[in-house]
Amino acid sequence: MATATHADEIRAQIPHQKSLIGFYRPDNHKGLFDWLTTVDHKKIGVLYGAFALFFFVLGGIEALMIRTQLLFGNDPAAPDRWQFVTAQTYNQLFTMHGTTMIFLAVMPLSAAFFNFVMPLQIGARDVAFPRLNAFSLWTFVAGAFVLNVSWLFQFALYAGWMDPAVADGVDHLKRAMNDIAPGGSWVGYPPISSKEYSGIGTDFWIMGLQLLGVASIAASLNFIVTIINMRSPGMKMMRLPVFTWMTLVTSFLIVLSFPAITIALVELMFDRHFGTGFFRVELGGQPILWQHLFWIFGHPEVYILILPGLGLISEILPTFAKKPLFGYPIIVFSGAVIGFLGFAVWSHHMFTTDLGKIATAAFSLLTMAIAVPTGVKIFNWIGTLWHGRIRFTTAMIFACGFVWNFMCGGLSGIMHSAAPADHQQHESYFVIAHFHYVLIGGAVLALIAGIYYYFPKVFGKMLNEKLGRRVVAPLIIGGANLTFFPMHFLGLNGMLRRTHTYLKEYDIEKWNQICTVGAFLLAFGVLFFVLDMILSVVKKGWAETAPSDPWDARTIEWSTPTPIPVYNYATLPVVKGVDAFWISKYGRPDQKIEAAPEHGDHGIHMPSQSWWPLLCGFGFFLMGTCFALSSAKNFVMFGHNLNQFVLVGSAVGLGLAVLGIILWALEGPGGYHLHIHQTADHGKKSPKDSAATAAH
Amino acid sequence: MAHAAHASHDHADHLADENNKFYTFVNLALFMAVVTGLELVAVYLPFHLALIWTIIVFLSVIKFAGVCTWFMHLIYDKALLTVLFLSGIIIAIPTSIALLYLFENSDVDAKKIKHGVAAHAPAAETHQSHP
Amino acid sequence: MSAHADATSTDGLLPGSGADLKATTTGIENKKMLMWAFLASDCMFFGTLISTHLIYRKIYPGVGDTEIGRDPTKLFSLELTTFSTFVLLMSSFLMALGVSAMHKGDLKSFRRNVLGVIIFGLIFLGCQTFEFYEFFNIKGLSLQNNIFGSTFFVLTGTHGTHVAIGVFWLVCMWLYSFTGRFTQDHAMDVEVAGLYWHFVDIVWLVIFPAVYLVEFIGKLN
Repeated sequence: MATATHADEIRAQIPHQKSLIGFYRPDNHKGLFDWLTTVDHKKIGVLYGAFALFFFVLGGIEALMIRTQLLFGNDPAAPDRWQFVTAQTYNQLFTMHGTTMIFLAVMPLSAAFFNFVMPLQIGARDVAFPRLNAFSLWTFVAGAFVLNVSWLFQFALYAGWMDPAVADGVDHLKRAMNDIAPGGSWVGYPPISSKEYSGIGTDFWIMGLQLLGVASIAASLNFIVTIINMRSPGMKMMRLPVFTWMTLVTSFLIVLSFPAITIALVELMFDRHFGTGFFRVELGGQPILWQHLFWIFGHPEVYILILPGLGLISEILPTFAKKPLFGYPIIVFSGAVIGFLGFAVWSHHMFTTDLGKIATAAFSLLTMAIAVPTGVKIFNWIGTLWHGRIRFTTAMIFACGFVWNFMCGGLSGIMHSAAPADHQQHESYFVIAHFHYVLIGGAVLALIAGIYYYFPKVFGKMLNEKLGRRVVAPLIIGGANLTFFPMHFLGLNGMLRRTHTYLKEYDIEKWNQICTVGAFLLAFGVLFFVLDMILSVVKKGWAETAPSDPWDARTIEWSTPTPIPVYNYATLPVVKGVDAFWISKYGRPDQKIEAAPEHGDHGIHMPSQSWWPLLCGFGFFLMGTCFALSSAKNFVMFGHNLNQFVLVGSAVGLGLAVLGIILWALEGPGGYHLHIHQTADHGKKSPKDSAATAAH
Repeated sequence: MAHAAHASHDHADHLADENNKFYTFVNLALFMAVVTGLELVAVYLPFHLALIWTIIVFLSVIKFAGVCTWFMHLIYDKALLTVLFLSGIIIAIPTSIALLYLFENSDVDAKKIKHGVAAHAPAAETHQSHP
Repeated sequence: MSAHADATSTDGLLPGSGADLKATTTGIENKKMLMWAFLASDCMFFGTLISTHLIYRKIYPGVGDTEIGRDPTKLFSLELTTFSTFVLLMSSFLMALGVSAMHKGDLKSFRRNVLGVIIFGLIFLGCQTFEFYEFFNIKGLSLQNNIFGSTFFVLTGTHGTHVAIGVFWLVCMWLYSFTGRFTQDHAMDVEVAGLYWHFVDIVWLVIFPAVYLVEFIGKLN
């Protein structure tokens, strides 16, 4: 972030302090060390966003490889049949594409917004537990790398650096046993994910997902406490911006749904490592139990992906329609209802497993019921636009694209909720079309809209509007529709998902080629978008400098100066209503945001930075990677048997993580005080007058 | 500290509160010990199964609620914490019950389940029969 | 701002001015709220585990070709488990007293009570270790040979791990109380650890009837 001058000035004044365990607190570093030890919610948000975009691009490349493989059908008679990737690699590609996009792209990108925007929106100076927030970030990074480092080992295997006999499988399944990258799809159903049918890729997947679960739960607990407990004066619950409300609902969903997959993964891990029988038919285990446990998590998970998007849209539409959000309380309420109902519909992913008439009917009805609050939201957004003075900025185009595309995805969702129809659609490209409409057309468009909207606040630069309106938006929205709309037809005609090829004689090649073209258009859109972002941040003079309130926005995060000082608000704002910044700008004189009175001259308490969350993350990464590798029958690299090494490595990793937590507990919270001398205007500070003192 | 005076003002009340809690805790602990004993006895009673089930569930819920309410201070704290905890219970219990109802004895033929550590051979056969 | 307030382990920035670190919007301490939210999450965690066990008990009422597989009542010792339950309940009682003592600033009473909790926790773990040893070595139930073994060991083992983490936490706290840095301001830390401990106790209050007592109903007369 370009907070250089003021931030440096503050940093120079922070006293050098020793923590209770005798180390210097890393408060005074610049550059890399500052970012590695940061506890500032804004920097953590930026880091989440950067990692998420990296994995978004990675997952996108995997998707392009999938689409390239499906460019031509398979003619068994022809000797030179099209094979861009092998069937095995294809399995790994769609597995990692799904896992990456869900857990490493959309969720952390949402987390980036939660981190950056939510504390600003409630008028707080940071989250409730800054170091826990850093812990969540680094644990997420550890999980993400555990998942993706498997690709490197897969490459080592193909390059001949690694012994091919990594696992003892059934002979004709040897190839799948060499899945070092996960290949059991993002749902990981046993018996495909069992020891007999998949290689150590599944262990990477298990460990990665476990870590991501820890990270998500820790972050969500933090957000829940922050939103309930850290609001500035006057910020009642029913004055919270909708994005913050959706953060709260999403956090509850994460906290209550992730335990189910944690247990499922533990059971699967026990099946694979210790020979238990949870999902192993030989011992009487029921693979269908995995499906239940997975979808008890998995269905709330899809709302975890979309609710932040719904929140962002509810911020963007009113701003660019210059109207208050239509029906604020009902939008909040329907968000909460969607979240609650999300726990009661998991079995609609399993209609074809013969649940029995009553269960099927119940889950079918509950699924249809979810359309009601979702529809309410859609109508409220339309109501917001109605008679508004709409400005079609790039953010607004994406937001409107979201409403339309998300609705399309919702409509095919209602089709799935009818169990008989679902029997035809299940496991087909119709399902792919549906959830890409709600995930790309829904979550991703909303997040991109959010990026266009908040980028000026985060980096102090405007993204290129002309490029956004004329190139990025048409390419992304058009490309997505071109890719996924034909899939409805493909699916209803019977093309199966998770299959690396199709027969030429099925006459579906043309539609597949259109899908592939669409995918590449979409990719070009993302490419321009990402390049514009990178250049705006990195290259001086590429982008215009942003004013502090470029959109004439409504919520209080826009009342801060840009770049936002490390303490967010020099004085905490006293909030007078919904859309507090808007009524402060244009409302009655008594609706102006006031500065909350300070008690005494203690200054602003700032948290100290810490190395230990990073140490925990590193420990987790080591543990996850080594534990996954230790499940290989023979982990031999470059001729050395490393079985003992990785076993020790996983123990050391766990030890480091525990050590990190202990040191974190022992070092004490620390902190220092910043003294800022106010000028008259709210939020403005004169840096020359600022000073920092130690808290002790 | 800014609220030091405030704190000392409340100190006597605070101490009295904590002392009152002591007796509550002792009574509760004794009560729970008795309830645990009753549970053990209930299992041996020659009553109808449904009745014994009801008794056991009832007694367990009482113990659960007792610990939550007094030992975990919910009754002394703001209601919000109760709501927070109930959000977990309200999701977890119906989910568990629904799961239990979704599985039927008739789904499986218990006699056909082999025991002992699984070998790989049966797995391979299964696979081959479904190409 | 005195060093006093900062020496509290309130890890965070709270609304209001920099002076009043403990002020929150709702008046509930951040740590306490975090712990309750975590416990709500843990309800789902144990709910899922217990469901797994009960589902397999439901669909395989008597699965197993060994004696114990057919009838878990031959496996369980109701006396031992009841004793464990009692021990855990009493540890909860002592924990509540320990928290109360800390709120009063009575460090000695806190140490006494928490030491009691630790000892009771260790007794519980001892009972469980004995139980596992007996089941595995004498009665021949293992993780691998029976679905009942899988679910039973993983469920009770996970609970045991929670107890062990709790004991570790309390031991750390007990040791830390001798450093001189531990004051009445840490009452909230003790209370949070206490909440965790009580939760581990109530999970056992569910496991005890749902896993053990259930097997005996209608089989003893």
